[in-house]
Amino acid sequence: MKLKRILAALAAVLIVEGGVSAGPPMDGHAIAERMILAYYYPRDDAKMAVTMRIVNRQGQERKRRLVMLRRDLKDGGEQSYYLHFLAPPDVQGMSFLVFKHVGRDDDRWLYMPALDLVKRISAADRRTSFAGSDFSYEDISGRDIDEDDHAFLREEAIGDRAAFVVKSAAKRPGESEFAYRLFWMDTATFLPLKVEHYSPQGKLYKIYETREIRTIGGTPTITKAMMTDLDNGRFTEIAVGDVSYDVGLSANVFQERSLRRPPASWIR
Amino acid sequence: MFFRNGVSAVRRRPGFADGAFLVAACIAAFSAGAARVDAREIHGFAEAAFGPKIGGEGKTRHAGFNFLESRLQLKTLWRPARENKWRAELFSKSDLAGDRNASSVQMRIREAHVLFSPAEWLDVKIGRQILTWGTGDLLFVNDLFPKDFVSFFIGRDDEYLKAPSDAARFSAFGPGASLDVVFVPFFAPDAPLRGERLSFFDPTLGRIAGSDARRVLIEPAARLDHTEAAARLARSYGSAECALYAFRGFFKQPRGFVSSGGRELFYPRLAVWGASIRGPVARLGGIGWFEAGWYDSIDDRRGTDRLVENSAMKYLAGYERDFPNDARVGIQYYVERMRNFGAFQRSAAPGNPPRAERRRVLTLRLTRLFRFQTVEASLFAFYSPTDRDAHLRPCLSWKMSDEWTLVVGADVFTGRRAHTEFGQLDGNDNLYFRMRYSF
Repeated sequence: MKLKRILAALAAVLIVEGGVSAGPPMDGHAIAERMILAYYYPRDDAKMAVTMRIVNRQGQERKRRLVMLRRDLKDGGEQSYYLHFLAPPDVQGMSFLVFKHVGRDDDRWLYMPALDLVKRISAADRRTSFAGSDFSYEDISGRDIDEDDHAFLREEAIGDRAAFVVKSAAKRPGESEFAYRLFWMDTATFLPLKVEHYSPQGKLYKIYETREIRTIGGTPTITKAMMTDLDNGRFTEIAVGDVSYDVGLSANVFQERSLRRPPASWIR
Repeated sequence: MFFRNGVSAVRRRPGFADGAFLVAACIAAFSAGAARVDAREIHGFAEAAFGPKIGGEGKTRHAGFNFLESRLQLKTLWRPARENKWRAELFSKSDLAGDRNASSVQMRIREAHVLFSPAEWLDVKIGRQILTWGTGDLLFVNDLFPKDFVSFFIGRDDEYLKAPSDAARFSAFGPGASLDVVFVPFFAPDAPLRGERLSFFDPTLGRIAGSDARRVLIEPAARLDHTEAAARLARSYGSAECALYAFRGFFKQPRGFVSSGGRELFYPRLAVWGASIRGPVARLGGIGWFEAGWYDSIDDRRGTDRLVENSAMKYLAGYERDFPNDARVGIQYYVERMRNFGAFQRSAAPGNPPRAERRRVLTLRLTRLFRFQTVEASLFAFYSPTDRDAHLRPCLSWKMSDEWTLVVGADVFTGRRAHTEFGQLDGNDNLYFRMRYSF
């Protein structure tokens, strides 16, 4: 048993090392591309429970609890998301459906059960905060790789993990909150460990930090993270639990039917 | 008087909802195979609300304020612990409200239904439920389900605009398309203006009336052949959602007079055929929608009976988009074109309120969120250039915490003529304050 574990660890190290040394990926664009795949597109589908804790300057706390289903149509391309809110009480029972597109606005629907209303939501502005948290829609569902210029800066350690540092500058700065972001991407998993957001004035105003990475079904997954809003002294903690990959979500789940009637087999 | 055929006064039986709930409960228990129920959670809110009138002409029975009420809403979803064959689940939501303006505490069942799937592609919802479809924002063309405009105009939560229906809904899902068919065996009209909280134009008096209103509303009798039916066939083409609609039943408002000069108004028969499209607008960004409906007034197809509403074509076009800093703007243009307008004019009696062939309404929605989406400031405005009347709905809501919400708003009505939709409400301007604890 012990030998097996050592061999597995050795293999992992070799694979990771191999990934780094084979063909020097010192190209910012390539690293960013791998980050997007590792962070937003792992496997073909996923189911998870998300908890958010939003704490303001006064220490007041707000909580969000939701179940999220994701299905990729193409790695790095189109995706479908289904979110069902469990808390807070005023949004409990609401469902949210997103068809993520590349190169055009996403399609978004919100279902309000009290009115039996399926509302189509304009998604022209992606800077909007997600559910009142410090994460924006863009942070949650990602940006197209071609919306930024990615430059590799250096290698640097974050805690005990080695990271590539990449500067991603918005090509159209007027359309994003930030002028550029600095990414620290884990050299082993390509998951972001830290992201600093800089305003057009060059001021650091928002920091994302990964707090926990767990390997679930062989896939490294961020299970705890935090976003801090430096200007407003706020932060949002996000915790992801009950994660399973490749559960066989079909396109049928991502339809109006699920908005009106949450698919019980995935939600419970 | 052919149109009275089969139409007689009916008193709504309050016991029916409880009956429906019991039936639903039995069906659910049966289909669940008496499985252990563990997914039980109770949610809802407690709310204190006050709606004083501003100015006003004191014609209504409740002259000082529209409501001063405490409300408790409880809702719960029962889902059997074990996945049962028909995936049956039971939902109930009821309100317990004590209003200073009402003599007793009232219990209202808003929803009580069972939802199950006899086949993988079919959802069936039976019992009391809220039904909504169509694309309009507070304007309705193909949504012929009952609405409570009294609650809407006095400043209760938007939720109360939709009144429940006792109905059976069948939703079939095919590859790429879906079909909904709804049967409503017990007619439910829009909540009528009665002069208790809002004064309105009483056509039998030819003037604004409050507690002196004398019109008598006659609902279709509860008969099997009076069952209303509504259907929607929906399909998406890329990001565009298209739908066709059909409805057969009755007008939701009393658009027919039983006799000339009489006090009795009834709900004439109605068929509606319609279509809608909704989708993203290229280049501009945002969402656009268009909806049309042909209202076939079955009891007066030629438009020659001045006692019954004519047929009409209704069109609605809308656009909404979001802007940075949580701002959102929506506009709509609505036209209602009376059919057989010539016949209407020829048959109109002297003294009947004049009508335009095309009634136009414009709406504007402005919404902005502040303080990390905890404060919402909004304005919704209806304006009709043909009726020269308007309704403004400014509202400020503050989510103090996950549980507490404070809402302050107003309803302002203005119009030149007493008989138009918003003009008749001119003396009903009001404020409202609501404080809600959600759990």
